[in-house]
Amino acid sequence: MSERDLSALARELEAIVGAAQVRAPSALEARAASIIVEPRDANEVAELVRKCEADAIALAAIGAARTLAQIRPAPVAVGISLARINRVIAYEPDDMTVIAEAGLTIGALNRLTAARGQRLPADPPGPDHTTLGALVAAAQAGPLRLSEGTVRDLLIGVRLVGHDARPIHGGGQVVKNVAGYDLMKVMVGSFGTLGIVTETTFKVRPTPERYTVAIAQFPDLAAALAAAAALHEAVPLIHLEVVSAAVADALGYEALPQVFAGVAGSAEEVAYLLTQAGAMLGSASAIIADAEAATAYEGLRDFAADDAAIVAQIAVAPAELAACLTRSGAEFRAHAGCGVAQIFTRDASNADDLGRTLAHWREIARGARGNLRVLRVNDDFHHELNFFDDPPGPALALMRRLKSTFDPRGVFNPGCFVGGL
Amino acid sequence: MAPTAQSTIDARLLAELRELIGDDGMVLRATELKVYECDGWTLEKSAPEILLRPRTTSEVSAILKLLHRRGIAYVPRGAGTGLSGGCLPLGAPVMICTSRMNRILQIDYASRRIEVESGVVNLHVTNAVKARGLIYAPDPSSQVACTIGGNIAENSGGPHTLKYGVTTNHVLGVEIVLPDGEIAELGGPAEERCGYDLVGAIVGSEGTTGIVTRATLKLTRAPAAYRTLLAIFADVENATRAVSAIIAAGIIPGAIEMMDQMIIRAVEAAFHAGLPEDAGAVLIIELDGIAAGIDGHAQKVSELVRGAGAYEVRLARDEAERATLWKARKRAFGAVGRLAPNYATQDGVVPRTRLPDILRAIIAISQRHNIRIGNVFHAGDGNIHPIVLYDERDASETQRAIEAGRDILKACVEMGGSLTGEHGIGVEKMAEMPLIFSPEDLLVMSELRRVFDPDQRANPNKVIPVPGACVEVSVPRRQVAL
Repeated sequence: MSERDLSALARELEAIVGAAQVRAPSALEARAASIIVEPRDANEVAELVRKCEADAIALAAIGAARTLAQIRPAPVAVGISLARINRVIAYEPDDMTVIAEAGLTIGALNRLTAARGQRLPADPPGPDHTTLGALVAAAQAGPLRLSEGTVRDLLIGVRLVGHDARPIHGGGQVVKNVAGYDLMKVMVGSFGTLGIVTETTFKVRPTPERYTVAIAQFPDLAAALAAAAALHEAVPLIHLEVVSAAVADALGYEALPQVFAGVAGSAEEVAYLLTQAGAMLGSASAIIADAEAATAYEGLRDFAADDAAIVAQIAVAPAELAACLTRSGAEFRAHAGCGVAQIFTRDASNADDLGRTLAHWREIARGARGNLRVLRVNDDFHHELNFFDDPPGPALALMRRLKSTFDPRGVFNPGCFVGGL
Repeated sequence: MAPTAQSTIDARLLAELRELIGDDGMVLRATELKVYECDGWTLEKSAPEILLRPRTTSEVSAILKLLHRRGIAYVPRGAGTGLSGGCLPLGAPVMICTSRMNRILQIDYASRRIEVESGVVNLHVTNAVKARGLIYAPDPSSQVACTIGGNIAENSGGPHTLKYGVTTNHVLGVEIVLPDGEIAELGGPAEERCGYDLVGAIVGSEGTTGIVTRATLKLTRAPAAYRTLLAIFADVENATRAVSAIIAAGIIPGAIEMMDQMIIRAVEAAFHAGLPEDAGAVLIIELDGIAAGIDGHAQKVSELVRGAGAYEVRLARDEAERATLWKARKRAFGAVGRLAPNYATQDGVVPRTRLPDILRAIIAISQRHNIRIGNVFHAGDGNIHPIVLYDERDASETQRAIEAGRDILKACVEMGGSLTGEHGIGVEKMAEMPLIFSPEDLLVMSELRRVFDPDQRANPNKVIPVPGACVEVSVPRRQVAL
């Protein structure tokens, strides 16, 4: 779209939501969308969808724009920021449920629930930058996935604006519910390609009374991964992170492979679990608690390999992960026990290098009946890569039908998801 | 009886089916087909014209390709233990039963994954792995009979869903034969997916998206210790308040089950389980996890329920006492048969904090319709199962039972709840779907269904009400155990 067309479009959008709600994108947002609109409620979102569908203009919901800035080959015309759609609609601590609008961040939500000793235990990097909408769209997770599951296990209700500006809702506000098709699962990990999520209902969980981490370093990766596998088998942990030497170094630990085994619960439970874990990790392990443990956890949670040439997430059967990581030769932060790791390399001087590395990683993931998703690529190369694996033929055919059903005019964040959807 | 001349099952189709799966894979006799005329929802019956029992995915695929070419609808069936009429043939002459596809294909202990064919019985999965300290967590009360394929169709629950989640939280991958006969592999042993979460869309779709032939399931570490408490109350009001007190204290037991006085007395009369007959209500609260600290949690729960009005709390001293308590709970429905010639069970959900309100509403509904209603349910999840007692020979009482059931569901919805927590919509609750979903919601759901089944030949006339149609319920809800 030309500059001139864009400014004409901006004026039309201002007519819908008011001039104060339309702005130019920030540098990061500019890679995701050319114009940013900040609607104040779901009705305004619906008006914007109606306008974009009528004129065949691509739009996308934007949180902090971190994911879209990566995966979009070119910006969409209209970015729908949900920054102003960020209210908590209902927090029911005694039901352990919360209804909140999609523009609220995980961090803001958890500051509210902390007063009642609860949290939304979805912990992707940067909770203050991750909106609930982004959490759902990109299906992000962190160390706590081992014990608390992921967003797909926690989301019990959703509202979205679909095609024809339809207001749609699925699920409800009760923790057990099998009425109707599971629209929550359809939206989780759909990367904004099926509609614009405006409201989410989650289960929340009690924050454990105590949290402690046993940290152990190992001379080599094989030893660290084997120790983690044995721990996972024997001890119920709240998280089990394994990092390669470079990650340990970046996090401020000695530059050796390290295992971070988190235990949580009452004082008695924690003491018992630490004895178990300590016995397995041996004398090399250190125990940290309280504020020190919280800081270590935040470091692990927020680690994002910012200086890498390419970062990808590999997911395989948990028992296959160690072999996959070893074969990849990549640096990594692994959610051992879940079979998921973020792997990265800093060595890539050109797009060909990067392409070869990625092809190698993909082959490793496929060989272990798993999959791989690129999380971030160095700016110089990011247009040339396929961020998602290609699903097998029959699965992709179903996904195409799902996309064309939910988005018949092809306006919702088109052209950057699996199979070019 | 051979299919009639008007039937869609003509001689040519029969010959083709015989070619595909042989005589031993087909049931044609009316007397034998009568077995398949309903599931656990016994109030509506309709036998299929033919039952097919494939042994392999390729047989399922060949059958569905043939039916696709001929434009014939089918209904899938696991063990037939469903409670909402999910495998009742309605405009579907062909029934396809997965029970012969019952092999456990692969167990990966280190990854806690198991791959099974869809006809495998739920309990057989846990039996296969329990020696290694693992379980398959979803445990519907029909678990000795129900199949994994049926669990996937219904997104089945069970008493322990409070802590461990329902079927959808434990299914990572499926092999599904789509209604046109295409085979799709979706998901797999990995926790993350590539593309849309189609597995999540299929689980709970009540057989309307195709026939799942294989599934990759997550296994869970078996708890090392249990503490099972019986908390005794003067009335249901205090018992339901105690549920919220436990949850609000940040304790998530494995299960919290409630029985009211009518049920307690019926259970005692039938089985002499040692329940207090003068009590207004009891809670069975089970804590599980590691042994360390579990007595502390049990002590805390004991204090909480006493604070909420329990006048006595008994702790099961050993496995035998624990088994007795669970037996009393699981046989409650059987005992109800002593109270009235007929009974109908509802399945509704409310936010847990509204349990006292819904119990009060049920008492009012009972009085208004002059009909007896007992309560035994999964209190920890807010998932209620009121049992409406009636005598079908009394037309007026039968009608009042129907109205009481509807009123209870409406009350659940008014309190921010749902129509069904674990039994499904099936044919039973289609008419009530508009109580919780708008026309747009229902339209999107029917569009989602057509992604998998454009011709709507997979288990037709289920889940989503046809706009404008009015489903008239003339018999009360089902009368089966759960």
